[in-house]
Amino acid sequence: MVDTAAPRAADSDPAPDSAWRVRSRRVWELTTSLFSNPTTIAGLVIVVLMIAMAVFAPLLTDANMPDPYQMPRDWETPRAPPGTPGHPLGTTNNGGDVLYGIIWGARTSLRLSLIVVSLTVVIGVTVGSIAGYRGGKVDEFLMRIVDVFLSIPELIFALAIAAVLGPSFRNIILSLAVVFWVKYARIMRAQVIHVKQNEYVDAARAIGDSKLRIYFKDVLPNSITPIVVQATLDMGNIVLIGATLAFIGLSEAGIAEWGVLVSEGQAGISSGRWWASTFPGLMVFLWALAFNLLGDGFRDVLDPRTETTR
Amino acid sequence: MTLTNTGPDTHEVRPPGAIASVVDLKVHFQSKRGVVHAVDGVSFDILDGETLGLVGETGCGKSVTARSFLRLVPMPPGIAVGGAIHFRRRRPCQHCGGDGCELCDGLGRLPEECSQCGGPGCEHCDGSGIDNVDLLSISESLMNEIRGDRIAMIFQDPGKALNPGLTIREQIAEVLYEHRSEEIMERAGFDPEASNVTGTLVRRRATQRDRRPERILMSVPPFRSRRARLTRATDEMVAEALTETQIANPLKVMRRHPHELSGGMKQRVMIAQALACNPDLLIADEPTTALDVTVQARILELVKSLQERHQAAVLYISHDLSVVSQVSDRVAVMYAGRIAEVGTREQIFSEPLHPYTQGLLAAIPSGSHERGRLTAIEGTVPELIDPPPSCRFVGRCPYEAEQCRSADPILASFEPGHQVACFIHSPEPDSSLDQPSFARKTK
Amino acid sequence: MSTVTDTESREETPAETDYLISVTDLAKHFPIKDGAIQRVVGQVRAVDGVSFNVKRGETVGVVGESGCGKTTLGRCVSGLMEPTAGGVYFDISYQDLTRLESILAIPDGERPEAMDADLEEIAMGHRVDRMKGEAWRRYRRNCQIVFQDSFASLNPRQLVNSIVGRPLRVYKEASGNELTEQVVSLLEQVGLGREHLYRYPHQFSGGQRQRISVARALALDPELVVLDEPTSALDVSVQAQILNLLHELQRDRGLAYLFITHDLQVVRHMADRVVVMYLGKVAEAGETSDLFDNPRHPYTEALLAASPDLAKGGEAMPRTLEGSVPDPARPPQGCRFHTRCPVATPICGWEIDDVVLWLEDHPGVFEALSGVSRQDAFEAELSFEEEEAAGKLREALQSEAVPRAMREAVESISVEETTVKIKFHPVDGVELTERAQGHVAACVLDDLGGVTDVS
Repeated sequence: MVDTAAPRAADSDPAPDSAWRVRSRRVWELTTSLFSNPTTIAGLVIVVLMIAMAVFAPLLTDANMPDPYQMPRDWETPRAPPGTPGHPLGTTNNGGDVLYGIIWGARTSLRLSLIVVSLTVVIGVTVGSIAGYRGGKVDEFLMRIVDVFLSIPELIFALAIAAVLGPSFRNIILSLAVVFWVKYARIMRAQVIHVKQNEYVDAARAIGDSKLRIYFKDVLPNSITPIVVQATLDMGNIVLIGATLAFIGLSEAGIAEWGVLVSEGQAGISSGRWWASTFPGLMVFLWALAFNLLGDGFRDVLDPRTETTR
Repeated sequence: MTLTNTGPDTHEVRPPGAIASVVDLKVHFQSKRGVVHAVDGVSFDILDGETLGLVGETGCGKSVTARSFLRLVPMPPGIAVGGAIHFRRRRPCQHCGGDGCELCDGLGRLPEECSQCGGPGCEHCDGSGIDNVDLLSISESLMNEIRGDRIAMIFQDPGKALNPGLTIREQIAEVLYEHRSEEIMERAGFDPEASNVTGTLVRRRATQRDRRPERILMSVPPFRSRRARLTRATDEMVAEALTETQIANPLKVMRRHPHELSGGMKQRVMIAQALACNPDLLIADEPTTALDVTVQARILELVKSLQERHQAAVLYISHDLSVVSQVSDRVAVMYAGRIAEVGTREQIFSEPLHPYTQGLLAAIPSGSHERGRLTAIEGTVPELIDPPPSCRFVGRCPYEAEQCRSADPILASFEPGHQVACFIHSPEPDSSLDQPSFARKTK
Repeated sequence: MSTVTDTESREETPAETDYLISVTDLAKHFPIKDGAIQRVVGQVRAVDGVSFNVKRGETVGVVGESGCGKTTLGRCVSGLMEPTAGGVYFDISYQDLTRLESILAIPDGERPEAMDADLEEIAMGHRVDRMKGEAWRRYRRNCQIVFQDSFASLNPRQLVNSIVGRPLRVYKEASGNELTEQVVSLLEQVGLGREHLYRYPHQFSGGQRQRISVARALALDPELVVLDEPTSALDVSVQAQILNLLHELQRDRGLAYLFITHDLQVVRHMADRVVVMYLGKVAEAGETSDLFDNPRHPYTEALLAASPDLAKGGEAMPRTLEGSVPDPARPPQGCRFHTRCPVATPICGWEIDDVVLWLEDHPGVFEALSGVSRQDAFEAELSFEEEEAAGKLREALQSEAVPRAMREAVESISVEETTVKIKFHPVDGVELTERAQGHVAACVLDDLGGVTDVS
């Protein structure tokens, strides 16, 4: 509320001569401001490393055939501690290489989070948009459904569904998707209702533009920011919950998935074989932490207040 | 007599009767693109009992100037670069305790004696014998004493300036607890100085410094009635404050929350809160901008009558020249962080000297202007990032000359009471340039 | 005063022109919902029976304070809100309008079928909320709007060229380079330039953003632009620039403006005719100079008094108006202004609500009020807890404590123990009556100095 005679770039900067140039510069500026925060950088670095690990898994290890997602069983070196030649992080009860489990587990986690986030964002944004844009009875009906879903704690809900469907990796994806979409619906609805009241939406109506075009050009782009932030955060949280479900035993045994590995390695802890559980557990923690840091960084950078004042 | 804009000396002669003097105030702001010189060498006086209108457009720095009085400017990103704001504060008249008597001319306030000389006059007080403090450099605790008590401020949007969670009574009572707690106690029949248990408890309660055990104790029968007495006394004082601002039915209004009141009522509440402690100086930062024109007229009337009653000085800030003309005795016009012109209301409105003031007055639409021919000042307000020495109005002034582009004009006196910062009226003293003929350029 | 551009009339006589916009008995009410099941408990009568016309090329100013309904009116005229009753007619000829008015003069249900069919035809062709197809498209292209908040009226994520070029894209008038060139031409007409094409709204000042809004509004070369407080948020020198620009554009293009504002000086400067609104109704309307030199409504007078004309050496302290704007969900009977009017008469619509309001402001008796049971707005029984309070009220209503006009409006008042029965003379709403050529006012007073009967 202090009038600081904010400088106007419009008259002093050299005029940009194309839309593309302006938009790419804007992206560049956002990226640089993202990098100004050390915790965000830390998060970003870890995320990049993890994703690289996941993507390059076949190159980094010898894929276990026929299904690389199954942990290899090497009966010759079961329960080997870290530092054993050929097994830098040790082996599991069945002789599976822990490092292999870490790397392919990253791949599994990436699959899990990408699929779930894509599904939930699409469904949630659609439902939220319809509710917010149409309003009235449609809105009320949809939001009651959302309310019911939201009243159940995420973990318990996912647990219940996974238990009913039966333990499998695919069912974990399904149960998480069912649980997580409502969050996006609620965020999107609130955003749409808020954005709809802006006069630029009225101006578009006054021009005579179609409702659909107004949605895609005016409403959606200005509502999407919190969704992006939430999606980033959820990339981390989904793996966390997924790992928890796996740990309880709702996933398939023997696959290269961090939660499963923690669960399977658990028994050995009392005998002093900490490596089979600890390393995968650490990975879950790092993954969730990294995405949370990145998401927070996005939130700070994309905050409408910092966006619109210069 | 010249008042310099840029001198380091902050103890010049001040005209007698100035309750506040801003001397070469400079407030800058750190921003991504550089240091913004929002307020860049502003000096003016506020005389006792007068209303000074500070007028200027968006970004001229008037709000920052006003907030500097109470140190309300956030200090990062703000940088207090320099200058001083001298303030001659008063204290409640001990003879009548604020009610008004012969000694204090019915005002309830007396000037504070100079701390150095105690009355006769010395350099510190410029011979007047009255104490002055530099608001920018006093301690935080002294500032807290002055805020709300000696200097009060009312803001533009009463909806935002009033706490939505408090009732009106609580809002105004806050000020009373802070600064007039002794009076509350006296009205309730207690001795503010008492040191027994009861007295201490009462005092703590009246100043809202009681803690949980004390509160529990006060809710128990023997003390409960005392608490009720305090509450009643506070209620009375709050009702009085509200009545003064012409709020009908103060008892009902007291129990309401801000959102239940209209804009005009909220503004009156804010004024009541500001005047609750009989301040010496009232700063009004665009108080009627958000109000309808008929409501605004009544609020202006109210401010004027209250000012007369309390003999307070008012610094009235606005971008609206017609409002300023209704309310001010003297007017200061600000542009781009500097004062362009100062004078009495008649002087400014009938013979404006600075081209900016002239442009501003000519830009106001009316029935007598031909359509399409409003004098619009060309160009826009300059960015104030590391401005070079030159008149800030360069590029927009119809009388611009070479000299204007290379030096800062100084606020100098043109006729008694009328100062202007423009080379047309006060050429540089020892300039060797031929005086340019400030012929009006045709567009 | 600048000349009003000639109206393109198909009639010979200047009085019988076609109207670009004809607002006929327009009403817009907003339901108030309450409770768990959101029952409708009342209506906010934002616009409650407003009629006026706008000719081609002229500027009609709509002026009033907050709550008068002018913004809602602007939204209805520009097709962004649907009326609750009445209608906004676009491009309607004199004959059609007279025909429409005569049909509407006959109450619904009493009209012969042929008339109803006529009404339908006119509505389908001209009524903004009923038009379809080609007629609707024509209206939409020709009626644009510029909003008060320059920042909120531009999509913050779009560049200027997309914003201004959008109308052209929607109607497929141009594309690619040709589109860009047209946008540049529009920008130049509003005082901006090519260099502003690829920038975001937040990079501009308030005045520049308003220029962008105007450029967008002009893209399709409309006949009417609704200006909703276009300069209220701007500094006075920037406002002067924008007002000059608006005038220039009007002169060059023959635009009509519906200029909505609360600033009397601006409307005095810009408008050919002025409509003064109060609480959803028209208080007074007429040619600008006539209206401001000879106001016929006390509210217009109060507005004038509160905004002095500096150029004419305005007075130092204007006369002020008591009270505050009543609740638009419960507008006063008779003349809506009577609760605040300094020259109110007994026939201005005094009612029970006025008594209750008076009581609220005078504690002492109010606390004892236990109930009000109304027969209608003018007649009720007020019950008190004590006889004394009832007696006090009766006394007060017959004394100086209450405005004289209100006293005289009481038809009967009687006290029975703790109940006071009050009856006021019932009055109808005050209609707009013609005072001079084109100058109407809704006031029972003839010239604000004497009282005449409503004719």
